[in-house]
Amino acid sequence: MKRRAIATIATGVIALATALTACSAPITDSPQASASGSQSGTSTTPARALRVWAGSTTPISVDFNPFHVDTALYGTYGPIYEPLFFFNQLSADAAKPLLGDSYEFSSDGKTITIKLKPNLKWSDGQPLTADDVIFTFGYGPNKTDQLLSATAPDATTIVLKYSKPQFTSAPQLLGATMIVPKHVWSKISDYQAQTNAKPVGSGPYTVKTTSDASYTFTFNTNFRDPAPAVTEVQWIGLDSNQSGQDMLSTGQIDWTGMFIANPDSVTGTGAISTMNQQQDPTVVVTCANAAKGCKGAQTDPAVRQALNLAIDRPALAEKAWAGLVGQANPAFVLLPRDQQWLTDQSLAASPQAANIAQAEQILQAAGYTKDAKGFYGKDGKQIDLDLFSPDGWTDYNDAAKLIAEEAGKAGIKVTARTVSEAEYWTPVTNGDFQLAMYGLTQSIVADPYSNYEQYFSGKSTANVGDAPGHGQNYSRYANPDVDAAIQAAAATNDPAIKKTEYAKIQAQIATDLPYIPVVLNASQAFYNTKDFTGWPTDANLYADPLPYISVAPELILLNLKPAG
Amino acid sequence: MRFYLRRVAFYIVTFWAAISLNFLLPRMMPGDPAAIMIGKLRRASGGRQLSDETIKGIYALLGADKSTSLWDQYLAYWVRLLHGDLGISSTRYPYPVATLIGNALPWTLFMVGLATVISFALGIGIGAWVGWRRGTWVDQLVPATSLLQSIPYFWLALVLVAIFSVQLHWLPIVGAYDPFTYPSGPQASWAFAADTIVHAFLPAVTIVVSSVGGWLLGMRNMMVSTMSEDYVLTAEAKGLTPRRIRDRYAARNAAIPSLAGFSIALAFVVAGSIVTEQVFSYPGIGKLMIQSVQGLDYALMQGVFLVITLTVLAANFLMDLFYGLIDPRVRTNG
Repeated sequence: MKRRAIATIATGVIALATALTACSAPITDSPQASASGSQSGTSTTPARALRVWAGSTTPISVDFNPFHVDTALYGTYGPIYEPLFFFNQLSADAAKPLLGDSYEFSSDGKTITIKLKPNLKWSDGQPLTADDVIFTFGYGPNKTDQLLSATAPDATTIVLKYSKPQFTSAPQLLGATMIVPKHVWSKISDYQAQTNAKPVGSGPYTVKTTSDASYTFTFNTNFRDPAPAVTEVQWIGLDSNQSGQDMLSTGQIDWTGMFIANPDSVTGTGAISTMNQQQDPTVVVTCANAAKGCKGAQTDPAVRQALNLAIDRPALAEKAWAGLVGQANPAFVLLPRDQQWLTDQSLAASPQAANIAQAEQILQAAGYTKDAKGFYGKDGKQIDLDLFSPDGWTDYNDAAKLIAEEAGKAGIKVTARTVSEAEYWTPVTNGDFQLAMYGLTQSIVADPYSNYEQYFSGKSTANVGDAPGHGQNYSRYANPDVDAAIQAAAATNDPAIKKTEYAKIQAQIATDLPYIPVVLNASQAFYNTKDFTGWPTDANLYADPLPYISVAPELILLNLKPAG
Repeated sequence: MRFYLRRVAFYIVTFWAAISLNFLLPRMMPGDPAAIMIGKLRRASGGRQLSDETIKGIYALLGADKSTSLWDQYLAYWVRLLHGDLGISSTRYPYPVATLIGNALPWTLFMVGLATVISFALGIGIGAWVGWRRGTWVDQLVPATSLLQSIPYFWLALVLVAIFSVQLHWLPIVGAYDPFTYPSGPQASWAFAADTIVHAFLPAVTIVVSSVGGWLLGMRNMMVSTMSEDYVLTAEAKGLTPRRIRDRYAARNAAIPSLAGFSIALAFVVAGSIVTEQVFSYPGIGKLMIQSVQGLDYALMQGVFLVITLTVLAANFLMDLFYGLIDPRVRTNG
């Protein structure tokens, strides 16, 4: 009996082996066949689906809930749900109308009057009116105490009245609030618990089909404008950048945004083009404010200034980011976009080559002396700083290591270490750290206001031990002059006044350096220019060609055309 | 009978300990899941202010641990468990953990399970042969396969993908099936079944290549020591054919220790293969595990660990019973 069992296993194995080899023969060409099949298909069928990897990982969990900012699938914002206007973060141009036609602020900034385009429809055919917009502004996470009233004098006009000036909130209210249909969401009490598998939106696409490996959009027959030339978009899930790069170079995906250290390896064939827009500052965030409970030598501005001078930024950019990053500046404006808001041109870039002599000078002037080991200290206490980054974020890890080395050359002892992602966020949000590698999010409009308000305002921070309730000022920085200037800038729509207030802020934060600017992050987009035309170019940057950002992909998809 | 009773009692205690440990482990990990989620949300929303309602919702979902005592949480954990409720994932909110595991498990069982069985069968078969012909050139197979095993798995997988998928276009790069041919997901068709085999081929080969050496070495060494046993000598003296001695006398006894290892390996199939699934974007359990640990998704972590623990225990239990059956010495001594 036992013999039979072994024999069965043996034959089973053989059968399996033959099955596998047998299958491997026809398999051999199948990916090639399907790839070439779909390529030749472009000439026969009107348009093949555009294939995108925006960064989704497998298995894909279907979620088109516009209120799930973190887990909603890519494409939810823009291609399906739209805000009223599109603010192009790459240019200083006026907002482009989407659902909205025009908007107007009252002179005190407390009233916004919005005009909708006429005859709008939801993807289920129901009319989209001012009623839906008013509903959206009073629903779920959009609710705010500052909104006093929302009224609709007629079906395409909305009047929003606020208790405070909203000039600086326009990008958020008009450009980032996704309008949802009242007839669907008014019936939903717990909006967080929805996965919204069949979304009813206003954008050019609706969901056609989903699986654990991909999801496909098809054009919305009720869209206000003619149907997009690219009628189908398939978004796939992948788990590693290497896979993304392989799929791109074998022609299996058409559009992605990710970091590739040697972009020539994918653009070499001529089918794929790339664009690298550097926007978001990578910084060393310091817990800067001793009054809020920060501990360590970095609470002394002199130490932060010395550290700022000790960093050899070009070397860092080359070694940690393959030279693909841009120059950061201590005024936290995006150049050349925000040129009109930069007063002191010496703040247009952070110091590039390391200046050890000047760094040491600053420390000495602040009363620090060198000890036997060559490290500076004060009152017998050596400067000993801890700099951490999440393990596996290799650019941050490498940069931290290099910064620690360079600081050492200037006599500042910095120890770089990596922590798990789980151990990274808690200390950063609670202020239980000295130095951390961190990425700030660049203001999405040509106005650095949100950078200052989010990261430098005293109102956006909290005491060490608490997470900021509003804003993301994790440095705990609080400066009454900066706060006053931020408040003054928020209350006006006059560029001249704003510019003076911004100048005050820039002077302060460039000296205090609660965030030490390192580089501007690379954000590389790769797209197939052989099969699809109409991508943004340097001459026509109508939207940022990154598939993972919100709203901009809608503009790109509407502008694309199958080649040939 | 006493043997079996003792085993059953032992497994009940182990089961309880494993479940309790499963409860404690994620709570002993550093970091606050609510802080992580809020941090991510802030970045995701591009500086947009999170409403109090959202923040409260997140704390209610993830931070409830602060208001209730550990003991109450433990009791609630058992109650939920006995109802078959594994909770709701926070990284893939609002999907229930049971659904996520249920979707991932078949893929893992298929690909990793098949690879483990093939690796074991190959290792035992070749190991028996190498052991039988010890001292000849075939012994070179031992260092050769060990070398394959010592190659970093990640690197091996990337090289194979670069050669067979990217350069030669013979095999697909990622996935469990072709999403472009099957945009709506799995279908009940032969073409789809063939597609899944094509997609499982390369990941399975990498697992086999990197694990067959262990089985081979173990089997070969057992074979060598079994062949010096008296009963093999007796069999030879009786004039049995070498083939019969090899298959019926030596190999059968030499395979017993490997079988125990095989049961454990089979049980660990449910844990998936984290690196394989990552490199090949294969939608299995290993990926859920790593995602849950990275995102501090307690519910998902516990669910995955629970499934693994239960399978390992069950496999051990079955192997214990089976062992008692095929090797009476275990019964009397144990």
